[in-house]
Amino acid sequence: MLHLFDRRVALVTGKGGVGRTTLSAGLALAAAASGKRVLLTEIGEPDGDYTPLARMFGRDTLPADPVHLRAPKDLDVGDRLHGCVLWPRNGHEAFFRTVIPVGAVVKAAMGSSALHKLLDTAPSFREMGIFYHIFTLLEAKLPDGSDRFDLVIVDMPASGHTLGLTGLPERLLALMPTGPIAEAMHKGRPYFTDPEKCAAWIVTLPEVLPITESEELLDGLRETATPVGGILMNRVLTDPFTEEERAALEPVLTDAHFGHERFVGVVSSTRALDDLEARKRSLDGGRGVEILEIEEMPLQDDALLSAIARRLQEAGGAR
Amino acid sequence: MSVDMEELITNRRVIVCAGSGGVGKTTTATAIALAAARRGRKVLALTVDPSKRLAQTLGVDRNNDRPVPIPASHRADAGIEGDNLEAWMLDPSVVADQFVNRFADSPEEAQRLLNNRLYRQISRMVAGMQEYMAMEALYGFLREDRYDLVVLDTPPSRNALDFLYGPSRLSSFLDGRIFKLFLPEEEGRRSFLRRAASRLVNGVNAAVFGAEYYLELQEFFGSFSGIFRSMNKNAADGLSRLRDPENVAFLLVTSPASTSLTDAFFFRRKTVELELPFRGFVLNRSQAAAGDRVFPDASMFGGTPTAVQASALEKLVRLAKVEQAAMARDRQLLARLEEDAGGGLAVALPNIPSGADSMPALVHLGDVLMDA
Repeated sequence: MLHLFDRRVALVTGKGGVGRTTLSAGLALAAAASGKRVLLTEIGEPDGDYTPLARMFGRDTLPADPVHLRAPKDLDVGDRLHGCVLWPRNGHEAFFRTVIPVGAVVKAAMGSSALHKLLDTAPSFREMGIFYHIFTLLEAKLPDGSDRFDLVIVDMPASGHTLGLTGLPERLLALMPTGPIAEAMHKGRPYFTDPEKCAAWIVTLPEVLPITESEELLDGLRETATPVGGILMNRVLTDPFTEEERAALEPVLTDAHFGHERFVGVVSSTRALDDLEARKRSLDGGRGVEILEIEEMPLQDDALLSAIARRLQEAGGAR
Repeated sequence: MSVDMEELITNRRVIVCAGSGGVGKTTTATAIALAAARRGRKVLALTVDPSKRLAQTLGVDRNNDRPVPIPASHRADAGIEGDNLEAWMLDPSVVADQFVNRFADSPEEAQRLLNNRLYRQISRMVAGMQEYMAMEALYGFLREDRYDLVVLDTPPSRNALDFLYGPSRLSSFLDGRIFKLFLPEEEGRRSFLRRAASRLVNGVNAAVFGAEYYLELQEFFGSFSGIFRSMNKNAADGLSRLRDPENVAFLLVTSPASTSLTDAFFFRRKTVELELPFRGFVLNRSQAAAGDRVFPDASMFGGTPTAVQASALEKLVRLAKVEQAAMARDRQLLARLEEDAGGGLAVALPNIPSGADSMPALVHLGDVLMDA
């Protein structure tokens, strides 16, 4: 059991092209189908440029306030699946309201275009807004006092930018050890550092380079004190060949044959996986890492999403 | 407009490889740089991608403070005769420091600025700065005329566009109005209303940032305003320089995956909007590039197959069918890209199952690009 859904925050990360967005969507569907109230997010402008994540749910874009997302027909998620973008400005405004008690002043401040520009573009403040937006979503309550969302999933940006975000509280605290921003960082930090509350999931492929890069990401996440849930090994090719069959093909199969490329791919991906399995106990500074293999599925769109959701549901039920 | 790669590497001074994450921008950029160097051009491969791939393959360290020549042994592997290929894995903070050194009034002033606590933090942050610094480095190389060709591999980002927005994001950060917000009050003939507004902003800032940090911010903006103004001007120049169709070519790299294709088409429209010299698509890791292949059958065993051979063949045929279907799909994709390229290139690069990161693989990919 991988405990994919029973923390408050799931940060889905990994380098570009490994299927991070698809697995984020699959994870959200799986958690919602398992009864969780789920919010699926990505960083961006509300209703800005189209995004691949929104596309998976039949939309072009997402707003900054959570909306219901539709699920593939064969998955019952009730009204538990929501989505929104994490928008720095939303976080800034929420933060302003906590430090400036007068609403009119907050409005005036947010109306100042120079201040906007500063907060939007100055590297750390942009991330601080994102951080604070997640924080407010995690703290949001239903009328009965329970959490509005059990689980917030973030489809994180590419590796380097991921560490920019997870390292933010430490960095801001180094810049300003006291004051209102420091207080906010202290309050929000446990949502990103407490292994009971948060897990980062590293999506990768069974190939040498992506695996090397995910090990680097693992080290980076440890440096920013972000707990790692595990590695989601995407598009694993099952090796259909026996030892003898492989030996029979190797001398006669060349790149002039259809099938050669996938044959080589299957063999090298199996080798890369075996190698990682052998080392996994020593990874993450000796703590060891869980690896979930997700088979390559020759499906597309909704069929792919629901197959992945089922796979994740089966692998990681609630605690 | 009719172009080929041979023409681009001969007549352009900058080739930018853009595309969404994971499509093989670094691979494509490196293959182009190698191909150009093999043809005798003096080339710089410039990458801001934090992945170590390019550096490892080319035998250079990351985070050098300047471009370094590719070691002779690696050049020999690539069939490059002269000392005409350099690479730089760009470290944004190093470029920022160089910039401060260049624009400060005196070495002492530069040192004072470099030691500023906020500067040390900001110059090392990733977003925006990296993109800006890539432009800044590019601008410097163009001015110095040290290279015939610079191949730029754009930073990894959510989508291909972030690279272009980065500098303008930074340049709006460096916008003069922000400085006014933080600079100490100017005494003088300002109206009562302006003073009141400015007091309000000051009050808000102090509440948001904390009084102590706010003072530090004011100091920071005060000392750096001159330098930031130069940066701002350069950021604007950088983008206009990329609009130069005589010297610059944009290649959009995509994989056959639908998400990266959507990005590529979207970016293509943006190049028109932003008046950037788009010169072609590269469809990477595609079956469309693979030559004529035969379907595996029993004849490959040269006689009646044994039981093991027969069962191996049966399984292989399943893989072969998947590949054949992918080839048909990728050829259609390539045709679509060709149509959308409006006279620009549409080149397919093959998937290299053992990994495209070895020198022979990169040289091969370079040859495929040049033959297109």
